Amino acid sequence: MSLLPQSNGTGPAIELDGVFKLFGNSPAVDGLSLSVEHGSTFGLIGPNGAGKSTTIKMLMGLLAPTSGSVRVLGHDAGTEATQIRQKVGYVPELHLMDRWMRVKEVVGFCRSAFSTWNDDTCREMLDRYELPDDKKVKQLSKGMLVKLSLVLAISHEPEMLILDEPMSGLDPLAREEFLDGVLQTVCDKGQTVLLSTHSLGDIQRMADTVGFLYGGRLLAHSNIDDLLASTKRVRATLTNGSPPENLPTGVVWQQVEGREWLLTVADFTPETVQKIGDLQGVENVDVIDIGLEDLFKDFVKGQRSNS
Amino acid sequence: MKLDPGSHIPFYLQIADGIRDAVAAGVYLPGEPLPSLRALALEIHTNPNTVQKAYDELAREGLIYSRRGKGLFVAEQGDESARASAQESLQRSFLEGIIAARAAGMSSREIRKAFTAALNITPAKRTGDSPEKGNRR
Repeated sequence: MSLLPQSNGTGPAIELDGVFKLFGNSPAVDGLSLSVEHGSTFGLIGPNGAGKSTTIKMLMGLLAPTSGSVRVLGHDAGTEATQIRQKVGYVPELHLMDRWMRVKEVVGFCRSAFSTWNDDTCREMLDRYELPDDKKVKQLSKGMLVKLSLVLAISHEPEMLILDEPMSGLDPLAREEFLDGVLQTVCDKGQTVLLSTHSLGDIQRMADTVGFLYGGRLLAHSNIDDLLASTKRVRATLTNGSPPENLPTGVVWQQVEGREWLLTVADFTPETVQKIGDLQGVENVDVIDIGLEDLFKDFVKGQRSNS
Repeated sequence: MKLDPGSHIPFYLQIADGIRDAVAAGVYLPGEPLPSLRALALEIHTNPNTVQKAYDELAREGLIYSRRGKGLFVAEQGDESARASAQESLQRSFLEGIIAARAAGMSSREIRKAFTAALNITPAKRTGDSPEKGNRR
């Protein structure tokens, strides 16, 4: 019962396979494999320096991977970046528009780069966002600049949108207006979207699947609903104040405070409670439901304490 | 419809709950159309795939049905089944509360008293509903 426009593409829309990107000796992206289905929205989230922007730049062919393969809409990002840029609408983290150009000049400049440019879409979006044709880029507020960037990214009717932390630094109203613009085009055209953000709330509104990126690696990559259902926090009492040696599988994070033991478990099943309860010195096992934000924090904290 | 990003309940279930409540409250009557995927997605600022999943869930329960090319409609007994699920979910909440109260060592009498007190602070809207005996102010 799908009422949305369907993409006719075969295979994943985005496919990374064993991708490394080294800057000097340090890996910004560390063996990343990832696939995004056509017509889905993928939310990429991670702390600063996790490798989100580096990954996105590789997708757009703006950075070459040190090794591994990057494919977007069936094209190799290394050799066919031109084709990718024609089919993808890209809103970069930093908007590199000439500050002295007027809005209409920026629009004209982008228009000339795409054979598929749709003037009606462009006009409609410029009006909707009340972007004045004659204003210079340097006179635009941060919110208006991001909205202009979105207009430019969708007016050539791309099959995919790649949005690199577009909403950071925007006020709540501008955020919502930007997201609504994205949603409207997704409703009408069914594009595949990759959205990188710091906001789990935005991820839940916009995305079907989520990837937690940390240290250039994916800590989790899953459908959001499945992730919420399969990750739980468990609270138990430790009779002697120290956690058991052999932890059950799937523990992503744990904390001991006095006799209270908190642990977050991925791939949680009812047997997990049983297994934890059977451990030596563990009593009163209780399951606590947690939201996506706590879940994300636990994954990252657990990773930090391991390294 | 208010969606809570902090909750462990996935957005699609929160949306399904919202529609179920609206049907139970008579916002959409049996046989009437529901908002289109696009309209609802834009109204609640959420990905249309998520709204689709919520509608799929409600269709599976038999609360709504789709007519080819015409959209989605509330099923004939949709309002009754929505009220029945509201009752089930109330039962579940009670059960959770009672288990927690028992774990904290409360007696049945204390639990009943707490329940009656809670019932009396929320105003009853339906006719024929009156506060519990013994607690009339």
